Amino acid sequence: MSRIMAHLVTHYPDADRSRAVAQGLIDGGASYLEIQFPFSDPTADGPAIQKACQDALDTGFSVDEGFSFVRNVASDIRESGREIPIFVMTYASLIFARGVERFLADGVDAGATGFILPDIPIDYDEGVWDAATRVGATIMPVTVTTAARARLDLILERSPKYAYIALRRGITGVKTQLDSKMLAVLDRFRDAGTRVMAGFGITEADQVRALEQHVHAVVVGSALVRTVTDCAADDHETIRAAVAARLKALLPET
Amino acid sequence: MTKRYNDYFGDFGGRYVAEVLRAPLDELEDAFLDAMDDPSFHDEFDEIASTFVGRPTPMLYAKNSSKEIGGAQIFVKLEGLANTGAHKINNAVGQILLAKRMGKRRIIAETGAGQHGVATAAVCAKMGFECTVYMGEIDITRQKPNVFWMELFGATVAPVGSGQKTLKDAVNEALRDWASSFADTHYIIGSALGPSPYPDMVREFQSVVGREARAQIEEMITARDLNLEALVACVGGGSNAIGFFEPFLETKAPRLIGVEAGGRGPEPGNHAARMKGLGRTGIVQGYKSLFLLDPDGQVQDTHSVSAGLDYPGIGPQLAALGVAGRIEFARATDSEALDALQFFAKNEGVVFALESAHGAAEAIRLARELPPTSAIVVNMSGRGDKDLFITAKQLDKERWQEFLAREAAE
Repeated sequence: MSRIMAHLVTHYPDADRSRAVAQGLIDGGASYLEIQFPFSDPTADGPAIQKACQDALDTGFSVDEGFSFVRNVASDIRESGREIPIFVMTYASLIFARGVERFLADGVDAGATGFILPDIPIDYDEGVWDAATRVGATIMPVTVTTAARARLDLILERSPKYAYIALRRGITGVKTQLDSKMLAVLDRFRDAGTRVMAGFGITEADQVRALEQHVHAVVVGSALVRTVTDCAADDHETIRAAVAARLKALLPET
Repeated sequence: MTKRYNDYFGDFGGRYVAEVLRAPLDELEDAFLDAMDDPSFHDEFDEIASTFVGRPTPMLYAKNSSKEIGGAQIFVKLEGLANTGAHKINNAVGQILLAKRMGKRRIIAETGAGQHGVATAAVCAKMGFECTVYMGEIDITRQKPNVFWMELFGATVAPVGSGQKTLKDAVNEALRDWASSFADTHYIIGSALGPSPYPDMVREFQSVVGREARAQIEEMITARDLNLEALVACVGGGSNAIGFFEPFLETKAPRLIGVEAGGRGPEPGNHAARMKGLGRTGIVQGYKSLFLLDPDGQVQDTHSVSAGLDYPGIGPQLAALGVAGRIEFARATDSEALDALQFFAKNEGVVFALESAHGAAEAIRLARELPPTSAIVVNMSGRGDKDLFITAKQLDKERWQEFLAREAAE
């Protein structure tokens, strides 16, 4: 069975309608939600997500509102009767400004299961891993299939429950071709007992199907953000339906 | 001599990057350390420095200015006389030699004022590298002449329309490019900031300025029996300052003074001064330092009349030395910088770049407080030719606009 971790940017296109996006992703069959808190300088994101973050910041996003959003989405998930863990994705600057432990604790309190922090590498972690243990949060380390073996080992030594593995070198948002070297890295994590979330450039159901046996879930980001961008002027219900339809189209028929 | 590779400077520095960028940074660290121990690398650097950059750059005794002020004697390190008009070329030469050692064939760079972009484009032309320079759309508008020079050198200038459309956004875009291109591409960062090993590496390549200045101080200041009170340099990211100060970092004297952009005033968005309480500790663009951030950690807008100082972060080593008290920080406003530029132009026949004029303004202020037996050296890190379109508009608006209108009509 295919699982998708669906990505969205809180407050894009605005606070209310990003809730519609989350609801659409729940309707569409997401297994996990990755909620990105926008940062002014998102160096690991491609143009589509960067623009969405900028627009979200222009609506007046604050970290406090981000946690309120997580709380609301967690309640939508409960109402749906499904179990969909939420991961908050953001950058070091936001975590550091609030204080690492406080940020993680506030996220957990709002209903997040864990955190995805691309610019806090495992050996410059600012105490994130220890703080996560204290507050009961799960860190989903981010790596890339082209990373050196020693770097991958560093992550595997932590026996993480999840790992977010980027399938291509570079930034999000460009179509990915799968090759055997990539798949070997995914399998290494899978065989170590880590739930592999793999993504970057997933735009078609065929790609999801090809990854199915190698990963726990496929991450879809830019493709969904582009859908939101296409209906950024529409009302709540239209956005919700469009997002759900886009996600369903990515899930292979079972 | 300070240590070549530190990674951290006190609490600041580090390598906070997405895993994808670890491979090129690890490779760069190895290449840098290897090159620093290789005499042939230094020989090649020195050869290019003397035959292409124009080193050593002179030190000027600003006699007329000192007399008019009536205080300390002011000396000016004329670094802006280097090829392409600023200290930026030193770092560009050092890094392109590293790129060559690593077998790269393409260079990317970010630029704000355009000086680093021009320097990078020039060394790429000389050394036969393909070159792409990322530049914010606003900077492209206000520094058009430098865009022209970069293109003349054969570089591609890639406009960056995201964020504030200035230097920091150009850095983001260059990092993105590098994440997918590092197999054959080296990223020449223009200031002593970013993830390690850049702050250490850029300081090492810029320290040629400080070493020359130290020898010139012996010849011109010590020989006159003057008491060297202070070295003064403007600070954007801080590469000219850290290079100029480098030989003096581990001594107690002279005073080392970095001058930040006071812009239009201390309100958020009106300046680019990170030290003395205005910046917060944060992690942005791969390093931990003091940045202009809002309470949530979002990077704030900045302003300076000089594009090269208009950046929300400061190099980690300067931040650490500022916190530790070895380096003092001051601010000069847009108008103080313009006044200083005119003062030295009239008295000495040299035109400071708007960035460096912030240092000049502080030198004038400080000289007034000191006796004539003391000396100050200010680094004119760049010359002001590139600012013609800004300076002339500020100082002689009507006639300048008439001229532009005539030119446009042709």
